[in-house]
Amino acid sequence: MNALHEQFVAEARELIHQATDDLITIEREGVAKERVERLLRAFHTLKGSAGVVELPAMSLTLHAAEDLLAAIHVGQLDATAAIIDQALACLDLISRWVDEFEAHRSLPLRADDDARVMTGQLRDLLLDSAPRQRVSSERKIAAYVGDETSAEWVLQLIRSERAQNFLRAQPRSIELVAISYEPHVGCFFNGDDPIALMRKVPHLLAFHIEAREAWPPVAELDPFACHLRFQAISAGNRAELSHIFRLVPDQVRFVDVPLERFGLRQSTGVDEIDNAALIRAVIAEQRRIVDVSDRSEDFAGRIGAAARVAANAMRHHLRIDLAEQIERAGATATRDRNVEPLLSILDDTIELIAPRSPRAEGEKAKTGGPSSGRTDVERAAGHWIRVEESRIDTLVNLAGELLVVKNSFAHLATRIERNIETRDLAQAIEREREAIERLATEMHAAILQLRMVPLAQVFRSFPRLVRDMSQRFNKKVRLLTLGETTESDKVIVDRLFEPLMHLVRNALDHGIESPEARRAAGKPESSTITMQASRVGDRLVVEVIDDGRGINPEIIRGRARERGLLTLEELADQSDDQIIDLVFSAGFSTAAEVSDVSGRGVGMDVVRTTAEQIGGWVSLASRVGAGTTVRLDLPISIAMSRIMVAEAAGQVFGIPMEGVTETLHLSPDRIAQIKGNDAFVLRDRTVPICSLAELMHLPETPGRKSDARLVIIAETGGRMVALEVDAIRDRLEVVLKPMQGLLANARGYLGTTLLGDGRVLLVLDLKELLP
Amino acid sequence: MSVCRHDDNGTILLKGVCSVEDAESLLQLLQATPRAPVDWTRSNHLHTAVLQVILATRPTLVGRCGDPWVAEWINVTPAYAPLTDCDC
Repeated sequence: MNALHEQFVAEARELIHQATDDLITIEREGVAKERVERLLRAFHTLKGSAGVVELPAMSLTLHAAEDLLAAIHVGQLDATAAIIDQALACLDLISRWVDEFEAHRSLPLRADDDARVMTGQLRDLLLDSAPRQRVSSERKIAAYVGDETSAEWVLQLIRSERAQNFLRAQPRSIELVAISYEPHVGCFFNGDDPIALMRKVPHLLAFHIEAREAWPPVAELDPFACHLRFQAISAGNRAELSHIFRLVPDQVRFVDVPLERFGLRQSTGVDEIDNAALIRAVIAEQRRIVDVSDRSEDFAGRIGAAARVAANAMRHHLRIDLAEQIERAGATATRDRNVEPLLSILDDTIELIAPRSPRAEGEKAKTGGPSSGRTDVERAAGHWIRVEESRIDTLVNLAGELLVVKNSFAHLATRIERNIETRDLAQAIEREREAIERLATEMHAAILQLRMVPLAQVFRSFPRLVRDMSQRFNKKVRLLTLGETTESDKVIVDRLFEPLMHLVRNALDHGIESPEARRAAGKPESSTITMQASRVGDRLVVEVIDDGRGINPEIIRGRARERGLLTLEELADQSDDQIIDLVFSAGFSTAAEVSDVSGRGVGMDVVRTTAEQIGGWVSLASRVGAGTTVRLDLPISIAMSRIMVAEAAGQVFGIPMEGVTETLHLSPDRIAQIKGNDAFVLRDRTVPICSLAELMHLPETPGRKSDARLVIIAETGGRMVALEVDAIRDRLEVVLKPMQGLLANARGYLGTTLLGDGRVLLVLDLKELLP
Repeated sequence: MSVCRHDDNGTILLKGVCSVEDAESLLQLLQATPRAPVDWTRSNHLHTAVLQVILATRPTLVGRCGDPWVAEWINVTPAYAPLTDCDC
């Protein structure tokens, strides 16, 4: 991906977000001239940049959307919900294409079809909702068709997948004919079947059927009046086509398609053009070398090398046939000391590359098909961080200072060489060490800062989400976001989306009452969901607050009893808060959605799991009738620890890698008994063997003493110990959570972490544990 | 008559060659039950008029059209699997 493409992707995402926000605001607050203008500008800029990176499908789609929005701008149309929906759907499509473009540098194969459907829908709205618009639109279409060679529909059809595939497979350019057929309204009464004619079209490459005008309501549809228009591209000859349509000459129009004018070498990325130019230059250079070679002694070597380079270049260009010809000519040239055949084939080659051969493209399409698709796209999206300039400046300054301090060490080294008074020297070294320590700490902090992104990145998706969901649930909801500028590590911000989505969804679906119920309860019809981020000490607190009906602990008690989650005594013992907390348990969330509150747990266990995976926790407070607050308490940044997962007596434990020096298989003969304990000698040191199972007071696996024993050599506090385990599973990078609750005081553990399968892994503190 | 109603679930079935007259029957059935799915897997030839009714009313289409040319060139996404049996 080159700089131009990168810039396009970043800018497009920005514009899509901005346009989405504006559309939602327009829907909520009505048409404000300024906002509509900004919206139009966003679409216009997007269209322009799509043109620059050569994505015609995207440009055309945006063009249609722009037309629709322009009609709103000049007051010809109202911003109806249908139009806003369609414009948002259009942005969704564009957004998917941008992801795809980032991953594969091209649009998906069905982009042309999608574009046609989307432009159709956008244009329908323009026609549907404003009859007076129809005239001007038709005039516009007439204008397009007037300039027949650039008619939009021809272009769209030519760019359809099948037509492109067919053309790529053609060695030479061929004649194409575009057909537009508008049967008479009464043609069915004459016994015509227009599709029957279309079926006869030879070498049909692309076909499109559409209504000549918006369909009337189903009740008013006349089944015997033909309102269709057919458009097609054929590679058959014109005479044949004229013969097929000879009975309807007044209803059909043929347009010859000059291929060059339609950018048939479409999908030619800038890189590819550069590539062809480069290869051409390489071949030209080789030709020059061959041409000037005199018959001196290194003649054979030079000609051989030039031919090889040229042949490789052609292989790279996927013209294996030419590559082989060049190689043969090269061999002949060195053998016969005659360069003429080689020169001529090189000339031919240069000639051939100039207009890029469609054949090479075809082969490329075969070999380099899109890989696993979606996953690539997902991975590609968002692995960039936009960093504020000042943060980079800080880092650059720190690196500069670090260099200065490093240089002073050279000075100290010379002083040591001259053996100048050691006390002074020690003080000087200490000063420099302090300077380095300060710089290193600051640098570490600055580097962590690079990864900090504002919560706005995750919050910004929610206005759209809340809008769509509140429509679906028929509720009136206002979304308030606070503290968007609060920053946190990118990893945390990225992972917050899913839990927040569940929380907002739950609030909307279950927390917030219908407008009628709210009125009955004496509350305003419109409810508020607040998403609030703040920094509390070194923690990030994100809250989702709704002013809905709240959670009734009695209902939760009832469900917990039904589902057998708690015994009767436990139920009686626990406070309301503890009971409400049950909504986070996995068992609770699978409850059937029968009563109002039962669905509360949907996804709630996901919220808790995600929070815990990134080293945080979640809590919930609720007042019946007044609303619910869910609070996520998270670290600002994630400190990752590397651990080794080992198994002993059927259980798994995490061992921090920083203490582990190596792992060994010990044959029984290497093990000796020293003071009643097993030990062995490693590089002249006696290392005691401790069984992990024994340390953990677990029953030993019997009958293994005769086999080789697996030990992890760990060094703690200057001592070396061999920890015997049954197996070593994985090496992982995890977030360690300190031990909490009852286990807070348990000794021998550094903390816990969640494994991929949801199990809790205890991570050992070797310093505490080893005798 | 190549258009009929499948009794059990209201699905409208197109069979064999659907001619211009069938367009009216199809439209009437759809006007009566606009949400009824249309199974077009068993029609091997659709007249333009029948296709036009489908395009104008956009019913839920079941399966891939049995008319190969239509299946190849008319871009409509089917929703359900076709019916297993019908005696009409």
